[in-house]
Amino acid sequence: MKKGFHLRDIILLALIGIIFGVIYFAAAFVYNGLTLLLTPVGYGPMANDITMGIWCMAGPLAGFMFRLPGASFLGEFLGATVEMFLGDQWGAANLISGAVQGVGTELGFTLTGYRIYNWLTIIVVTAMTTIVTFAWDWFRNGYSHFAGQMLVVMIIVRFISIFLFAGVLNKLIINMLDRAHVIRR
Amino acid sequence: MNPSLKLFLVLIIALEVTFTSYLYSNIVIIILALAYLIYRRVRWQRLAWLVIITLVPAIAIFVTIAFFSPGHNVYFAWVLVSRLYVYVMTGSAVSCTTSALQLVRSLEQNCHLPSKFAYGILAALNLFPRIAQEVRLIRIAGQMRGITLHWWSPRLYFKAILAASQWADQMAQAMESHGFVEGQTRTSAHRVPLTRRDWTTFFILVVVLQLLIIALP
Repeated sequence: MKKGFHLRDIILLALIGIIFGVIYFAAAFVYNGLTLLLTPVGYGPMANDITMGIWCMAGPLAGFMFRLPGASFLGEFLGATVEMFLGDQWGAANLISGAVQGVGTELGFTLTGYRIYNWLTIIVVTAMTTIVTFAWDWFRNGYSHFAGQMLVVMIIVRFISIFLFAGVLNKLIINMLDRAHVIRR
Repeated sequence: MNPSLKLFLVLIIALEVTFTSYLYSNIVIIILALAYLIYRRVRWQRLAWLVIITLVPAIAIFVTIAFFSPGHNVYFAWVLVSRLYVYVMTGSAVSCTTSALQLVRSLEQNCHLPSKFAYGILAALNLFPRIAQEVRLIRIAGQMRGITLHWWSPRLYFKAILAASQWADQMAQAMESHGFVEGQTRTSAHRVPLTRRDWTTFFILVVVLQLLIIALP
């Protein structure tokens, strides 16, 4: 079969974006609850880092499923596009965060040459996603004004969150899909 | 205004606002976006929801910068709060006034988005109610066997993706049997106009944006 993305793949990627949207719509209260809980101790913005892994799940999953250059970016970006259309509060600004997260997850697969698909990939993807999304949030949320110690805690928490959700949870899903022979090789 | 141009304008605003930190230009942008939303008769319940839901991250960032950061910079705290509202208001100025169909059609016709992406996304969006239903079904089926599937259960995602994989196959086959060919030039029944007036408005607004950012303190 010719390499590249076809109509079926694009529909599937968008559907995966919707699935994640539907499932973590239920998890949105986690973000709001955490923010309200952490604000009085001055760590309100850290709720974003704790939940970051959840928003970055679609990309790595697509990367592992399709094993093609660009799959991870497309998965993450289409997911964000779909969320925009489904009436998320951020509207078109979703496209920017989707693109940033997509670039982060995609870089992880690029650095492993689109050949290795194991735990090493997951670590690299996690590291790249952490760096890229943190760099974007540096400007977006004005991190230059934060206390240094807080930033260190935030980046560590973000790494753990991305590793747990976009890494471990995704890997468990991938293993199941692999056993069901859904993944193309 | 042409949907694609409107989208690009909003993306330009979001990027510029991210890399500059001026309070008054942000406030002007919020007011203009809000005026546009009201002019387009977006329901007030929706507007109120947008304002209230954004209060959560806004208060968090304000408290952190104003009381817990080393500089205690209240001005910058207000900049960040207003920036959040710029994202939400301008973002909604696109998503609340343009339907997915209009925007995708415009991107396909005016911006040469490949038709497989345009129709692929629309096909998936139309399956949204079925996906929501499917996720509910999987959960209920699990409960019947005494298994609770949480949002962090891999099995829930696995089953939903299996269903999605089937639907994607069927949908693609259905579209192809109705004559959809990837990369073929298409004619369109509904033209999305991209007039000189759209371009003029777009450029004027971009220039006004620069002036706002430069002129206001």
